[in-house]
Amino acid sequence: MSSLDRTGDYWRSLGELEETREFQEFLDREFPEQTDATRVSRRRFMQLMGASLAFAGVAQAGCRRDEDHILPMSRRPDGYTPGEFQEYATAYELGGVASALLVRAYDGRPTKIEGNPAHPFSTGGSTALAQGSILHLYDPDRSRELRRRRDGGQLLSARWDEFRRFAREHFSRLREHGGAGLRFLSEATSSPTLRALRQEIEEAFPNASWHEYEPLSRDNEREGTRSAFGAPYRTLLRLDRAKTVLTLDADILVDDDRALKNAADFATTRDPDSGTMSRLYSVESHFSSTGALADHRLPLRSEYVLPFLLALKAELDPDGPTQTPDAEFLEEDEVQSFLRTLARDLLASSGESVIVAGYRQPRHVHDLVARINDLLGNAGQTVLYYRDPDEGRPSHIEDITRLAGAISGGEVDTLVMLGGNPAYTAPADLGFAELLGQVSTSIHLSEYDDETSAACTWHVPRAHYLEAWSDARTADGTVTIAQPVIEPIFGGRSPIEVLSLILDRDHESPRQLVRRTFDDVAGFAIDPDAMWRQALHDGFVPDSHHRTERPALTPEPRFTLSESQKQRRDRREDEMEVVFTPSSATYDGRYANNGWLQETPDFMTKLTWDNAALVSPKTARSIGLKSGEVVRLEVGGRQLELPVWVQPGQAPYSVSVALGYGRTRAGVVGGDEGEGVNPVGADSYRLRASDAPYFVTGVSLRKTGRTQLLASTQDHWEIDPVGKKERERRATRLVRQTTLEQFGDAPDFVKDVDDPYPDHGSTWQEWEYDGYKWGMATDMNKCVGCNACILACTSENNVPIVGKENVAQHREMHWIRIDRYFHGDPENPEVSHQPVACQHCENAPCETVCPVGATIHSSEGLNEMTYNRCIGTRYCANNCPYRVRRFNYLDYHEGIDEARNKVRHLLFNPEVTVRSRGVMEKCTFCVQRITRTRIEANNDRRRIEDGEVKTACQQACPTDAIVFGDLNDDKSRVRALHDRQRSYKMLWYLNTEPRNVYLARVRNPHPDLG
Amino acid sequence: MSSASEAKHPAQEFNQITETVADVIERPKPPKAWYVAFGIALAMLGLLAVSVYHLLTTGVGVWGNNNAIAWAWPITNFVFWVGIGHAGTLISAILFLMRQSWRTSINRSAEAMTIFAVMCAGLFPILHTGRPWMAYWMIPHPNEMLMWPQFRSPLMWDVFAVTTYATVSMLFWYLGMVPDLATVRDRAKSKVRQIVYGILALGWNGSARQWHRYERGYLLLAALATPLVLSVHSVVSFDFAVSKIPGWHTTIFPPYFVAGAIFSGFAMVLTLMVPARWLFGLKDIIKESHIDVMCKITLATGLMVGFSYGAEIFIAWYSGNLFEQYAFLNRAVGPMAWGFWIMVTCNVLLPNLFWFKKFRTNPFLIVGVCLFVNVGMWFERFVIIMTSLSRPWIPAAWADFTPTFWDAATLIGSFGLFFTLFLLFIRFAPMVAMAEYKATLPAAHAGHQKG
Repeated sequence: MSSLDRTGDYWRSLGELEETREFQEFLDREFPEQTDATRVSRRRFMQLMGASLAFAGVAQAGCRRDEDHILPMSRRPDGYTPGEFQEYATAYELGGVASALLVRAYDGRPTKIEGNPAHPFSTGGSTALAQGSILHLYDPDRSRELRRRRDGGQLLSARWDEFRRFAREHFSRLREHGGAGLRFLSEATSSPTLRALRQEIEEAFPNASWHEYEPLSRDNEREGTRSAFGAPYRTLLRLDRAKTVLTLDADILVDDDRALKNAADFATTRDPDSGTMSRLYSVESHFSSTGALADHRLPLRSEYVLPFLLALKAELDPDGPTQTPDAEFLEEDEVQSFLRTLARDLLASSGESVIVAGYRQPRHVHDLVARINDLLGNAGQTVLYYRDPDEGRPSHIEDITRLAGAISGGEVDTLVMLGGNPAYTAPADLGFAELLGQVSTSIHLSEYDDETSAACTWHVPRAHYLEAWSDARTADGTVTIAQPVIEPIFGGRSPIEVLSLILDRDHESPRQLVRRTFDDVAGFAIDPDAMWRQALHDGFVPDSHHRTERPALTPEPRFTLSESQKQRRDRREDEMEVVFTPSSATYDGRYANNGWLQETPDFMTKLTWDNAALVSPKTARSIGLKSGEVVRLEVGGRQLELPVWVQPGQAPYSVSVALGYGRTRAGVVGGDEGEGVNPVGADSYRLRASDAPYFVTGVSLRKTGRTQLLASTQDHWEIDPVGKKERERRATRLVRQTTLEQFGDAPDFVKDVDDPYPDHGSTWQEWEYDGYKWGMATDMNKCVGCNACILACTSENNVPIVGKENVAQHREMHWIRIDRYFHGDPENPEVSHQPVACQHCENAPCETVCPVGATIHSSEGLNEMTYNRCIGTRYCANNCPYRVRRFNYLDYHEGIDEARNKVRHLLFNPEVTVRSRGVMEKCTFCVQRITRTRIEANNDRRRIEDGEVKTACQQACPTDAIVFGDLNDDKSRVRALHDRQRSYKMLWYLNTEPRNVYLARVRNPHPDLG
Repeated sequence: MSSASEAKHPAQEFNQITETVADVIERPKPPKAWYVAFGIALAMLGLLAVSVYHLLTTGVGVWGNNNAIAWAWPITNFVFWVGIGHAGTLISAILFLMRQSWRTSINRSAEAMTIFAVMCAGLFPILHTGRPWMAYWMIPHPNEMLMWPQFRSPLMWDVFAVTTYATVSMLFWYLGMVPDLATVRDRAKSKVRQIVYGILALGWNGSARQWHRYERGYLLLAALATPLVLSVHSVVSFDFAVSKIPGWHTTIFPPYFVAGAIFSGFAMVLTLMVPARWLFGLKDIIKESHIDVMCKITLATGLMVGFSYGAEIFIAWYSGNLFEQYAFLNRAVGPMAWGFWIMVTCNVLLPNLFWFKKFRTNPFLIVGVCLFVNVGMWFERFVIIMTSLSRPWIPAAWADFTPTFWDAATLIGSFGLFFTLFLLFIRFAPMVAMAEYKATLPAAHAGHQKG
């Protein structure tokens, strides 16, 4: 709406019309058919109708290209064909670290996110969160209007002009006093433009102060390196050079700002066909994706990591200053042998090992890690350091605590919050939401009218990252430019715009500001415009990464342990430890209104639409808990009720709780009490205090006697014993795995099974594929279980979400799922996982049973679904041994034609049919991508080259675990993978002849730990 | 009265039968029990109407079916009803060819029951499809979309098997009823009845030529219908046997399903006939000896079913196929074992009570056992479908099932449809084949005895 007033003269009459109250009401209703024509004069009605049509031209994204370069289409711009998509490089920032992205846009309408393969710190893969973030662009719950709170507390809609007038006046008055009483609170950001603006703010308002808060922050590493090196440093890992890796409570492959790079690097060291593999050790409380890949994993309470690390250091360097602490758990046999073997392995691969601690660990752990990496000669080799650019700032937790203190001390009159949702995410002991009420002028820039906005005097809608100019640095420091791909749909503003307004210099467009930063960063150029265009095209400023260095250590301090850190692993239930983890769906809660992410099962628990208190099976047994029972966690007077989920591999008496749930003003998906929508999950921030933000000990756990439905997409641990036994027997055949040692002796072990491959030929003359023969290969040694493939598939193929109740009824629609199996000791199991999509069987059992021929085999070997023909007998789904077919039991797009949901139409991939109620669907091998490429190749009279067609799952995969291509092409990668000795077909004994092969998992355990 | 019938004049005896049977239709008001039953049946039918409306407007998702268990209650109900529909044809066709004269007392109602049961059965496969309004695509027909059914699918075979069966059963039933409808027509007093029964009687005048052609036609239809008794449920069993799912993929299914179908069909006939003969005073026509024979057939088929269960489990073990073995182990001890044990109790153990004469003569005990058999046979299909689909090849895709209110409502509603039709049949059509019955009486052959 407010985008109108920026568009200049052309829309002036409409802009004037917009001033009137009638028009405002009309916009609220959005659609002319809902206008009550009886109460307006005919003339007025026609005016409104005319305006609505004109407005539709503005509001529909098809016409929302950047206006700076608008050209009439009478002559088509070069390289643009209506209906063809274009890709733009951009970036998004999460926790102050950018991800380099490519956005696919159809006629100016972004529909799909990919990683930017050209970017130096990107692999072309993308994260699940990045894939999902596009959904927010079209989220009808996103804030559509600026709001101000009158003195009486009444909320009124306001317009940007009004806010601009207010801000000019208000901040010029503040400027007179040097900004006394003015505070800023921003999310962590690495944007050089914002940094420059912030400097200007600090100059213009010398008495103001700037705070930064991020609920999931990597500040402990900063503080740890500060104590180890005297200054804060950030680390980059060179996992591709590492032979031995130790992660301490760290999910470096998924939950990490360097995750994509880490995963890609790590995967290169996990190729058993090369004969050597790295070895991964994990010590952690929460069972992470990285832990699932570990060759050896030791479940330990998070608070035990420090004593463990001290013992490790003592073992590695017996003459050094560190002594083995007198902790009882260290004497346990399992811990002892793990520690000794690990130490030997680390010493054997000095300079080629990596030790990394997670951001949840306190600074002492990071300090020690830096010292051990130095001791082993890893620093500068496999662990690279660069100086944190924000040296002086306090840690996020400290910063928010200071701000809270200032507010309660009455020092704050004006608080400007750029993004974030501190009323929800701030530590519970600060009572931040209540404190906001004491600030006379509080301005919140936010995508949603959320918990924080509700407590502020001004709410300003924030532009989605695809709607605004910005920039940010990736984890290595490369400046990455975020270009808008679409005009703000709901009239949002970016932090850059708000800051320029406060500085009274909003005559400069954000684009100009970003450009100016670029010129500063890029340095001298003969043709700066050409360089700028190139940077926009590529998405980054070349060679702008941070320079790494090898800092010198300070003398080692003495590390002291608490009594709690010295006990045995088996402890009593009233001494529970609670570990706060990010949600794989909502991150810190910001994606709570994202149905795609909410419905994507957590890699380990397979839970959707909820968080739970994860406890180990033994802990559950000793307390008498079952999954779904609601418990009350209590510590320091704070309490939280949520259901239990029994999670094998969880450290004993340590409870993992995901943050980011229990939102009360997220929207109709994530919970909105105003609309009567219950929150999804429980708000675990309520248990989180500023003194123990990442894990807290001494928590009591009590049963409440209630139970709650938890929607998991896979059977959980607790099933009948006969089923459990059978599951384990089958899992070993479904996910074939061996050890590197055994693999060397028997490279064809996958064929060495009781169930032989069927060797009886066909009675029929088989179809000969003389053109393309599509196939896929999935390397289970590379899959890190990051869920990016699921999100990518959902986004590419218009896969609907079904909601918690339907997931609980096993009606989830994902075309690709990740099966997860546990083996061995429930307290410390091995995990195998396997992405499963349609296997495109040569002898497809689904095809023969369809009475109407709705699923058939294509001449290129795809198993195709003809939605129009399907009548929904579901026989195919029954007969599919892989269970990959998905049925539209209900109209999962119900309500999409309602006025408020119309915007969601824009998200659909126009090349993929949106399926109706009552038809079957499943993975198509992204047939639309194949067809598009085939047309291009045919136009050029050539064959499709290897790698030219990438399925959505393949493209998103950070480790290249999924490879797709033409099996008829002898030089194709997929052909080579099919021919590898460790390739096998799932359920080969059924003679279905799948087109997808799996490459068996090979672990690399230390011989001494067997 | 039956003891006295020997002494009666044949004409008197024939008249007695006509009077008894026609009275049910002609008495001004049916017994109170009929009204009560009809009221309940109509209420259940109403529930079906509501369920179907809700289903059509909302989607198959109103039931508990899911992506793992794509067929659940609807197909269980389908197979259950098709099974019920087996006794009619068996009694009319096979027993007719075998000259089992006792069948004449119950064949009409058994055939009616068959037709109504097949109607109920037909409802489910249509309603369970995602887009029922497109279900006609299963029927080969010329169309501008160049669509043709896919004949390799057992569901296609089902379409033909069930429609053929329904058509032949309907013809058989109606043809057999023509002489009796003419009797009712001739006795009709009101104009409406005269016209309606007059049309239905197709101008029957009872001439020798008509009787000759009628009997030839009836015999031919009986011969035609006989293979259908075996084919329909064999084909229905192919839906399962042809698939790839452990627990379904077995060659024993066709005979096993046929035996089960006859078993359940007879149990249903007994469930209906034992109260009906009491309610409408038909004890002289539907004699205790008839009931006794039917109990024995129920026992025999029950034993066959029990044998099939045993054979299935034996083969699963003997084949050495671990997946088959698990499928059957899971039935017996898995999470849905209760269904399996209900099935075994009702279908294998309880019918053995029919070894005892007391259980074959006491109406309450007969109906009691037969109700259990009906429950057991529903559970047999439930067990086959649910246990196999909930735990097939890949354990990560194993799933459980929770029925919804609408699952139950549709099943109960289908009983409403069945009973409504059956009660209307009892009230408006001759429920005993009078003409045929008379032909089996000794009196019909008296002329020959006398020379």
